[in-house]
Amino acid sequence: MTDQPTRETIAAGEASLFARIIRRKHEHKLEEMAVGFYDYESTIHWSFNADQWFHAASTMKLAVLLGVFRQIERGELTLDSDIHVRNRFTSIVDGQHFKLEVSRDGDGNVYKQLGRTMPVRELAYWMITTSSNLATNLLFEIVGVEAIQYALAELEIPGIKVLRGVEDQAAYDAGLNNEVTAAGLLRLLRVISEKRAFSREASDQMLEIMLDQRYKSGIPAGVPDEARVAHKTGNISTVHHDAGIVFLDGRKPYAIVVLTRFDAQTGRGNAVADISADVHSTLADLSHV
Amino acid sequence: MSELPSEQTLKIVDAFDLPETIRFLLRPGEMVKDAAGRRHRLPRYFYEIPSYEDAMAIRLTGNFRLNEFIRVDLREAEPLREYPRYVPCAVRITAFYLQRIRDEIGSTLHISVNGGYRSPAHERNHPASPHMWGTAVDIYRVGTSLLQTEEQINRYGMIAERVADEMTAFPFGQEPGSTDDHLHLDLGYLFLVPREVSEDRMEMPQETPRFAWEERRGKDRRTS
Repeated sequence: MTDQPTRETIAAGEASLFARIIRRKHEHKLEEMAVGFYDYESTIHWSFNADQWFHAASTMKLAVLLGVFRQIERGELTLDSDIHVRNRFTSIVDGQHFKLEVSRDGDGNVYKQLGRTMPVRELAYWMITTSSNLATNLLFEIVGVEAIQYALAELEIPGIKVLRGVEDQAAYDAGLNNEVTAAGLLRLLRVISEKRAFSREASDQMLEIMLDQRYKSGIPAGVPDEARVAHKTGNISTVHHDAGIVFLDGRKPYAIVVLTRFDAQTGRGNAVADISADVHSTLADLSHV
Repeated sequence: MSELPSEQTLKIVDAFDLPETIRFLLRPGEMVKDAAGRRHRLPRYFYEIPSYEDAMAIRLTGNFRLNEFIRVDLREAEPLREYPRYVPCAVRITAFYLQRIRDEIGSTLHISVNGGYRSPAHERNHPASPHMWGTAVDIYRVGTSLLQTEEQINRYGMIAERVADEMTAFPFGQEPGSTDDHLHLDLGYLFLVPREVSEDRMEMPQETPRFAWEERRGKDRRTS
């Protein structure tokens, strides 16, 4: 624990952070950017453009994770329930079948099990840690979009819209996309962090999975190496997001969300890492970490 | 016909005699509609598989274990995922034909999860399919090759139909009655009434339990 910062210190820190983040937006040629964080140490809740909607990309997998644990808590599923691994899904728009492209998936582990089964525990793990699209769609199909939406509603998490699984091209063409706001994702992170995601045990299990995230070019790249980050990234050609909880020794954690959108030609760069670093240094200054 | 090791006997049950929970899910003798609206009567006689170990140990043919025909995920009704498990007696006939196809192809045929017997309560059995009779299989892999192309699925389908005239193979495609990520083979809506059981419901329940090995006693006598 550290001394609480004064109101003046906080105001100065916030103003400085605002200026740095605006600079990042120009520096990285971002079309849109949203940032939000909540620091359990200082209880500072800060946000920029937090109600702006973005294409969710793979951050929607956090909502699927919530849906899975909702069903587990209701006894309709267990972590050991076996699920048939099959690469064939039905579009929500026209009922046509579609397959996922292995080459576009961040993970190959689940494809190795085609035709066999994998337990929910493993699918949830790969969905988050390597962002497996196949695992996501399998879990999405099992729990159903309604359960995911109910999970968000029951936990009072607005700002996250989940309508479909991954790579449902017909739905994409029809303009049906999963969307998030920084405020929505931040609330989701806080629910998990505060052990309010259905139960303490469920929250701990989700956190444990998120801590094993393999993609570390976002939030983790902006914090000290010794920090542990429970997070989920999201990338497509025009967005790069990261939402996570940062654990540092000697202080309480903070939850942070960084959403960015850019022109496909510009590429994603390392805006998220830079903003993560800005937030970390601001909080470090405030709490003398 | 295939041989079961004598020490691995399977009890034959009339599904009408099963506990209500199971009977309700297996729906013996009920009429159901297939995709074309045609009505078919659900099977009534089942093998009772006491344990997972039994399912793994029992070979229906030289290359096919009973376990391969009953693997399901949570889309199957929960009581039917717990042992003792039940599978229509016609599964032996399916295995017999499948072995012939396997011998012709000369490579291992892998039946997918949910690709063997599926009860009427299984989420993927709407409308009815021969999987509910234990007479259909979905092959997702031949040897080490996943069946995902038109060429593979149609080639193996043609071999299956050539080897076993009674067997139907779905062509490659996305419409109902076709497949694009496995080879569907089936014998239609076939059911097997074991020799020793009585179909007269006035005698219910069966006076004494019947076992699969009893069926082959006559055959054994004839061949000895």
